[in-house]
Amino acid sequence: MASMLQPQIILLKEGTDTSQGKAQLVSNINACTAVADVVRTTLGPRGMDKLIHDDKGNVTISNDGATIMKLLDIVHPAAKILVDIAKSQDSEVGDGTTTVVLLAGEFLKEAKPFVEDGVHPQNLIRSYRTACNLVSLFPPPPSSHGLDVAVVFMSLFMLNVLHNGQAIEKIKELAVSIEGKSLEEKKSLLAKCAATTLSSKLIGGEKEFFASMVVDAVIAIGSEDRLNMIGIKKVPGGNMRDSFLVTGVAFKKTFSYAGFEQQPKKFTNPRILLLNIELELKSEKENAEIRLSDPSQYQSIVDAEWNIIYDKLDKCVKSGAKVVLSRLAIGDLATQYFADRDIFCAGRVAEEDLNRVAAATGGTVQTSVNNIIDEVLGTCEVFEEKQVGNERFNIFSGCPSGRTATIVLRGGADQFIEEAERSLHDAIMIVRRALKNSTVVAGGGAIDMEISRYLRQHARTIAGKSQLFINSYAKALEVIPRQLCDNAGFDATDVLNKLRHKHALPSGEGAPYGVDINTGGIADSFANFVWEPSVVKINAINAATEAACLILSVDETVKNPKSESAQGEAAASAMGGRGRGGGFPGRGRGMRRR
Amino acid sequence: MALAFDEYGRPFIILKEQDQKTRLRGIDAQKANISAGKAVARILRTSLGPKGMDKILQSPDGDVTITNDGATILEQMDVDNQIAKLMVELSRSQDYEIGDGTTGVVVMAGALLEQAERLLERGIHPIRIAEGYEMASRIAVEHLEHISQKFDFGASNIEPLVQTCMTTLSSKILQLNKDFSEDDTLISTSVNRCKRHLAEISVKAVLSVADLERKDVNLDMIKVEGKVGGKLEDTELIYGITVDKDMSHPQMPKQIEDAKIAILTCPFEPPKPKTKHKVDIDTVEKFQTLRLQEQKYFDDMVQKCKDVGATLVICQWGFDDEANHLLMHRNLPAVRWVGGVELELIAIATGGRIVPRFQELTPEKLGRAGLVREKSFGTTKDKMLYIEHCANSRAVTIFIRGGRFSLSPSIWFKPTCLLSFVVDDHSLGNKMMIEETKRSIHDALCVARNLIRNKSIVYGGGSAEISCSIAVEAAADKYPGVEQYAIRAFADALDSVPMALAENSGLQPIETLSAVKSQQIKENNPHYGIDCNDVGTNNMREQDVFETLIGKQQQILLATQVVKMILKIDDVISPSDY
Repeated sequence: MASMLQPQIILLKEGTDTSQGKAQLVSNINACTAVADVVRTTLGPRGMDKLIHDDKGNVTISNDGATIMKLLDIVHPAAKILVDIAKSQDSEVGDGTTTVVLLAGEFLKEAKPFVEDGVHPQNLIRSYRTACNLVSLFPPPPSSHGLDVAVVFMSLFMLNVLHNGQAIEKIKELAVSIEGKSLEEKKSLLAKCAATTLSSKLIGGEKEFFASMVVDAVIAIGSEDRLNMIGIKKVPGGNMRDSFLVTGVAFKKTFSYAGFEQQPKKFTNPRILLLNIELELKSEKENAEIRLSDPSQYQSIVDAEWNIIYDKLDKCVKSGAKVVLSRLAIGDLATQYFADRDIFCAGRVAEEDLNRVAAATGGTVQTSVNNIIDEVLGTCEVFEEKQVGNERFNIFSGCPSGRTATIVLRGGADQFIEEAERSLHDAIMIVRRALKNSTVVAGGGAIDMEISRYLRQHARTIAGKSQLFINSYAKALEVIPRQLCDNAGFDATDVLNKLRHKHALPSGEGAPYGVDINTGGIADSFANFVWEPSVVKINAINAATEAACLILSVDETVKNPKSESAQGEAAASAMGGRGRGGGFPGRGRGMRRR
Repeated sequence: MALAFDEYGRPFIILKEQDQKTRLRGIDAQKANISAGKAVARILRTSLGPKGMDKILQSPDGDVTITNDGATILEQMDVDNQIAKLMVELSRSQDYEIGDGTTGVVVMAGALLEQAERLLERGIHPIRIAEGYEMASRIAVEHLEHISQKFDFGASNIEPLVQTCMTTLSSKILQLNKDFSEDDTLISTSVNRCKRHLAEISVKAVLSVADLERKDVNLDMIKVEGKVGGKLEDTELIYGITVDKDMSHPQMPKQIEDAKIAILTCPFEPPKPKTKHKVDIDTVEKFQTLRLQEQKYFDDMVQKCKDVGATLVICQWGFDDEANHLLMHRNLPAVRWVGGVELELIAIATGGRIVPRFQELTPEKLGRAGLVREKSFGTTKDKMLYIEHCANSRAVTIFIRGGRFSLSPSIWFKPTCLLSFVVDDHSLGNKMMIEETKRSIHDALCVARNLIRNKSIVYGGGSAEISCSIAVEAAADKYPGVEQYAIRAFADALDSVPMALAENSGLQPIETLSAVKSQQIKENNPHYGIDCNDVGTNNMREQDVFETLIGKQQQILLATQVVKMILKIDDVISPSDY
């Protein structure tokens, strides 16, 4: 070949790995599909958990997509995008992290045959974007669903509204429900959403119990945006049902000095003083040195130091507070001083706990003990030190402002509580989302089927390649119900056919039908209270489409060689398959310069 | 672990160092996990019940522990497998929450896993199994509530509490002694008395620190001390505190009646400012004054203690010879270097206040104790200080003695040392014995505490499990769907506890269990259990074998929870060098 005779032009540093072209694209898709396969089995109420063991010996057992993706420690540059969207879903909505990865994987998988057939990726990208917009913007389609439904998910109810006059009232009630309902009704509706999230988790067996706990906690903090006002404390031992919610603050007994046990451990309506200073006998100034020439003055210096600390303590006592908390140490001297005066104190309280106490009791954290006025003292109905499992807990309950809540989680093993915490976090996020964004959709794959049906219908109105692509997008959405069936061990094809049939009913009454996880058939998810906030789905579909488009638009990877130290061993393995995908003869062979 | 391959079969590198990781998935992962869990349960199975055997555990630095406490065994085994670690945590949770039944919970979990394996082989979805187990556990817990009995006790009527503690103790240290009782009936009776003795001590200790109104018991207030030597029967409950210290001066009085105790956290020495300081001395006179001043400090301090009427000084810090001499001289006994925790307990027990400096000493701040004495043990130089007969005994001490029967452990270790009654060897055995007694007492204390929290009891000897098994089995038929099988499997798993009890007691497990089961059904009486001690009756009510209701419920719930967690895992990713 002629090119052989010419000297090679070296552009990049020695060892740089580049690969490009269609093959690169296909191999990126493969990598993403492989990653999506890892989390695939965790979807849904019959989803399984993963046990991941890292190099340091930390073990995590989780069902949460984002957590798993993070722990997998993915290095493949394209596959990393999936990790990012899982994370973004986690921070944006908190739940649906598995869904988003799965959808992205499926979109790519559907795109692969087109890419292999030589479709330009940009075409695909454009169609996918359109489809995604159709889903989330839902422009008035020509059919009877000509609704300005900002949320397609709402279309479920609306469809019913249009087609089934009977159901109108009921569904409207359910859909717009959360606004303006009495507190009790609101709670039970929110609990339904939380329960749907929890059903796929380890604590699914007690989902009602935890759902109502989560709802109470979220309602307790009210419109407060700061999530850290809900504290989650983990105490190993006991069973799940021993978990409890404190409408106030609870934290583990801090390190205490001798004399602590002589303090009273229960107060009703105490005044609470919150400090951020050290109450300890110590040198007031660093690097200061006292020089004495007259030994008789010695005592006066000693006394002066004692007076400083006593003065501080005295001011605390005079403020009328019965409970003194400090973020910094409260020394043994102070502990005994307070014990003598029937005051409870705790030093080295974690900052977030102290802030929570401040918010709950209406007190303010003081950095000095001078001029303590009544307004800065907090109060609560009951303060108590209680035994929880093997630990002693300080519990402040019945707080006036009530803008905090603490969930004390119990469970059989550390891993268990860790996972429970992650699950509760998801549920809390969902409930908060549902509170703000008061639309819910039917879960159990019903909504995905409905969107899929709508897109297929829409595709038929398009002439041109785009029709194919939107159809494949629609097909990809079916992965959610399919995977739900697969995980539960049902015949996915069978169930999916039933679902398609139901959803295609012209009356539209089949819209809320999803997979019935108990019998292996289909059921009205809406009636069975399998609900999800619509924002979860919107975000999931948007993020997954974005990720898929991003991966489709990449056609070259340039990878710099590893730095010297790591190169030795890595080189061997890197040789293997780094997306070179040399399977295509002729065109598209990656150029490799070594 | 390869996740994907390209067209040439070469793996993609998706994960960091993926070729160094191993991955188990699907049914293989479940099987591997189950067998790990089962293995752990198998180890503990023989330790269950009053005839359960002990395990010797040798730590990396050669310390030996002999115990049949499930939590302790697992803790010391230092398991590496992740699933096995879950079982360890399971046992630990039971220990934290209830304090007793740590072996039973693991045996139960092991049995559940074993049953689950069979169901998995029949193709039942693991989560369906887990759900079935969960339903079954709810039935069982409700049934326990149903068969439980409440009983009353008060400060005067502690008998029921003592009986329950005895059930707990019966599987512990006592049984270690019993092995030697065959040659000597006298010992045997004393052993029984001893069990009762220990149970009574535990109950009294808990009752004296309990806040019956709030149903709160702070076990920190009970100090459990042990000292090698003496007999197990010499174990005593002290309404006060013992400190492993002696008087600061050998010539100080060894016994003080109606002591008034000054509890100090300041040393007997001239106070020092915390700020960095320097005293410039440039003349001889100044030096003299400084010296005099120092002496005066000592003098003042001792005088101060004297003035407020203290007859004993307990100090957190040390004091130098000069102070010691002065104290001796003024006839004021003193103890130095007492730890913070003990100091606090002394303050609580004697009703005194901890005083941070001499200026603040007042007569009201002194603690009072009926008797303070220093006691030395046997021929050893060890001395202990007893502060007892305290007015307000909100803090108590259980002082364990032991060793006479426990030559045995040392004999097991070094048969050649049988005759060489070396002190070291002897005390090694004793120390282990005391450690084990401490653990047993801890269990008994927890049981007593649980009863104060919740007065319900169920009958032991496996009777509660058998009764639950019958109830669950009966309820299973009402459930449609695959869960029915899991519920039945749960009932079978419940049987494994009495089965293990029977096995360990040398009875025919299957025969005994089926006999007891039919007896329960026939007479509709849930009190029949396994007669481990060969008393002659199966009725646990007559045998007075009790267990706490919450303990049993906790066992079932915890075991179900962990089994569910294990069943739910279908993918294990780990670095392959593990």
